[in-house]
Amino acid sequence: MAVLEKGSPRRESRSFGEWVNDERVRSVFYQILVAVAVIFVAHYLFTNTTENLKARGMSSGFDFLGSTAGFSIAWTVLPYNPDDNYFHVYLVGIVNTLTVSLVAIVCMTLLGFIVGVMRLSKNWLIAQIAAWYVEILRNTPLLLQILFWFLAVFSLLPRPRDSMSLIDLFFLNNRGFYMPAPVPGDGFDLTMIAILVAIVATYALAVWARKRHFATGQRFPAFWTGLGILFGLPLLVFLVTGAPLTFDYPSLQGFNFVGGVTVPPAFCALLLALVIYHSAYLAESVRAGILSVSHGQTEAAYSLGLRPGMTLRLVIVPQAMRAVVPPMISNWMNVVKNSSLAIAIGYPDLVAVFMQTSLNQSGHAIEIVAMVMLFYMSVSLSISLALNYYNKLVQLKER
Amino acid sequence: MAELMHDDAVFRPKPSLPPPPNTVGVVGWLRKNLFGGPFDTLMTVVGATLIVYFGHKLFMYGVVNAVWEAESYRECLDITGGDGACWAGVDRWMSNYIYGRYSVDERWRVNLGFIVLAVWLAPFWFPRVTQKILVGVSAVLTFPFLAANLFLGGDPGLFLEVMTAIALTCFAAVWLNVAACYAGYKSVGVVIVRVSGFADKDDRMHKWVLLGAFGVGFVLAFLYQSTWDLAEVPTVNWGGLFLTLVISGIGISSALPAGVILALGRRSKMPVIQVFCTAFIELFRSVPLITILFMAVTMMPLFLPVSINPDKLVLVIIAVCIFAAAYMAEIVRGGLQAINKGQYEAAQAMGLNYWKMMTLIIMPQALKLMIPNIVGNFMGLLKDTTLVSIIGLYDILLMTKASGQDPKWLGMHTEPMLFAAAVFFVMCFCMSKYSQHLEKTIGGGYGRR
Repeated sequence: MAVLEKGSPRRESRSFGEWVNDERVRSVFYQILVAVAVIFVAHYLFTNTTENLKARGMSSGFDFLGSTAGFSIAWTVLPYNPDDNYFHVYLVGIVNTLTVSLVAIVCMTLLGFIVGVMRLSKNWLIAQIAAWYVEILRNTPLLLQILFWFLAVFSLLPRPRDSMSLIDLFFLNNRGFYMPAPVPGDGFDLTMIAILVAIVATYALAVWARKRHFATGQRFPAFWTGLGILFGLPLLVFLVTGAPLTFDYPSLQGFNFVGGVTVPPAFCALLLALVIYHSAYLAESVRAGILSVSHGQTEAAYSLGLRPGMTLRLVIVPQAMRAVVPPMISNWMNVVKNSSLAIAIGYPDLVAVFMQTSLNQSGHAIEIVAMVMLFYMSVSLSISLALNYYNKLVQLKER
Repeated sequence: MAELMHDDAVFRPKPSLPPPPNTVGVVGWLRKNLFGGPFDTLMTVVGATLIVYFGHKLFMYGVVNAVWEAESYRECLDITGGDGACWAGVDRWMSNYIYGRYSVDERWRVNLGFIVLAVWLAPFWFPRVTQKILVGVSAVLTFPFLAANLFLGGDPGLFLEVMTAIALTCFAAVWLNVAACYAGYKSVGVVIVRVSGFADKDDRMHKWVLLGAFGVGFVLAFLYQSTWDLAEVPTVNWGGLFLTLVISGIGISSALPAGVILALGRRSKMPVIQVFCTAFIELFRSVPLITILFMAVTMMPLFLPVSINPDKLVLVIIAVCIFAAAYMAEIVRGGLQAINKGQYEAAQAMGLNYWKMMTLIIMPQALKLMIPNIVGNFMGLLKDTTLVSIIGLYDILLMTKASGQDPKWLGMHTEPMLFAAAVFFVMCFCMSKYSQHLEKTIGGGYGRR
């Protein structure tokens, strides 16, 4: 009431009709109505839940996280054994999800850019191939594609004995993909340090070259020099310290391969499906982004005397990126979310190990669903924060 | 100099030379688009090789070596040695891919339901029909209940019976309207008013006459539908493409109104409403659909009173609706933001209140801008509906998987999946092409873009 009177200090008394038709009065009324409705529904759900839990003799709370999970997980990045507790299962699931998502994001971005540029190719055949690639992949469900790669491709590969192999280092069979595992020896730390130093040095060089370019107009070949430092310095350190890196090669022993790094077929199928499906979406964004730069920009750059390569690098790409990056980042988010479809082919991601197996075992539906949603929400929140930051960075600086 | 005075000195342009022969016709096209340079030629050759290689393989697999008549997958393998598709199995399972385990004798009801929907929506494409908005609104709001009654059968309960009667009345009204329009009247309402003899009374009277006519229709429809005696087909028997279309259809038809309300709420100046709507949208947009489905199946039964034991399909449909509404809300918000502020101000200056401003001025413009995104969202939902197979509903995808686990057809995975992929491709491709067509015909009408 006090609020309302403060809002209309001019008049002392108002008729009922005026009062009811006042927009501020209505606004407060509607808000109270909605709040009461939401509180009522929440209360109703809460009482039902407590009654249900009591009826089923279930407890609530996060105490179950400390108890032993007791089931095994087919493939984990973090070390895990069945004696670990549920919270560890949660972490294992998160790391498995992030692993496949990260690899998929890197490959998907590369492939998406290639296909997007192919769609704009002057070569009719190439443009058509890219267009049909995009159409076919975007118009069929991702889950169907995942199942297709898993059931119709990776499950039908030859047995370990008849593996497909690439120069006897990489093997592919129906048990998965095998590759050599690097085993760092003594002094390999120095090479790692050299890599860090090289990254910092390259960054510093880029900043310096840019400053000098702006100040004097002279260009410095920062890209090639940077590339040289990035690869040369670690390589030099690596050779000087005596190449302290050996590989653990996979080899066929009995019926299966031993040694190296093994990736299960489910991982391969999920990765391939995610990469291919999302690259089709990214290709469309890339195409739209490049088309969004008006042709006048190219002509203006030519009339200033820039060569085609420089025009592309200095004029077209920076402007196209402004239109490409936001959809690209939301595409990345979709990769993380869609990696949850792993459950259909038995890749042990967060949803599979925590929301299915752990939930079925412990029965703590509410807590587990909340924890899983919390993870996905924090991923998407951090990605959208990054996106907002980028948008601020590249926003047109209007006078 | 004297020559200039002569008539011949007037400039007469020669006819232009024909273009060089290698820039026109087939040769010119080939040179320009396929063999523009060494790199281009290389790309063309590589591309053509890939197409021929894979096209040949697919053709051999799908047509030449394929088996069309067989009794089991083993028989197929014996004939082809694994080099050809076993379409015989797909053919044998076809009715299951479409209807799931819906009782064979009752499948006419599914067909009838979809035919009714098609006939209901057909007036959209009749040029002379008026009030197309009402056609769409009535179909979206009432057809799902008619369909539920028809597909489920058994004892529908009073609510469903009433809604079915309303739906039947709406359906009749839509087609009477078509008849009236083609007979030269403005709408069926005009005809009813004229026939009933109230034509010279004022408009308020007309409204009551129309309502009365609707009431008479409702009573007739109610009496008619109470004569129905349909055998019950429980939802566990629903499956295949039918189930996919039911779930995505309900999701799509509820997403638009719910999305509009959520988007308006998010843009509202009332902080409480804004916070609730924003939280709802952001929560359900940031988590994968599969977690929402798990939530619906595992958590929602806990939220409901102990006495209620909800159907799994109902829970799944609720989850899909929530998911679709959250996504649609963001699309609608984008459309609303694209509307010039001057439109809002002009509407307010005309003295329109909030709802009139929204329904008469803002939404019609915004919806036109949103068509490509809305259709994209619908396609996404149709594809995402396949996720219900993970929680054990026998949609088209799980049906294709089940056919590969049938003892007779054990191991048949590729063929059913290719079939399902083709089904989805055709549906989504047609939708996207139609949306591009719509964008051109109604989106450009106001000189935007």
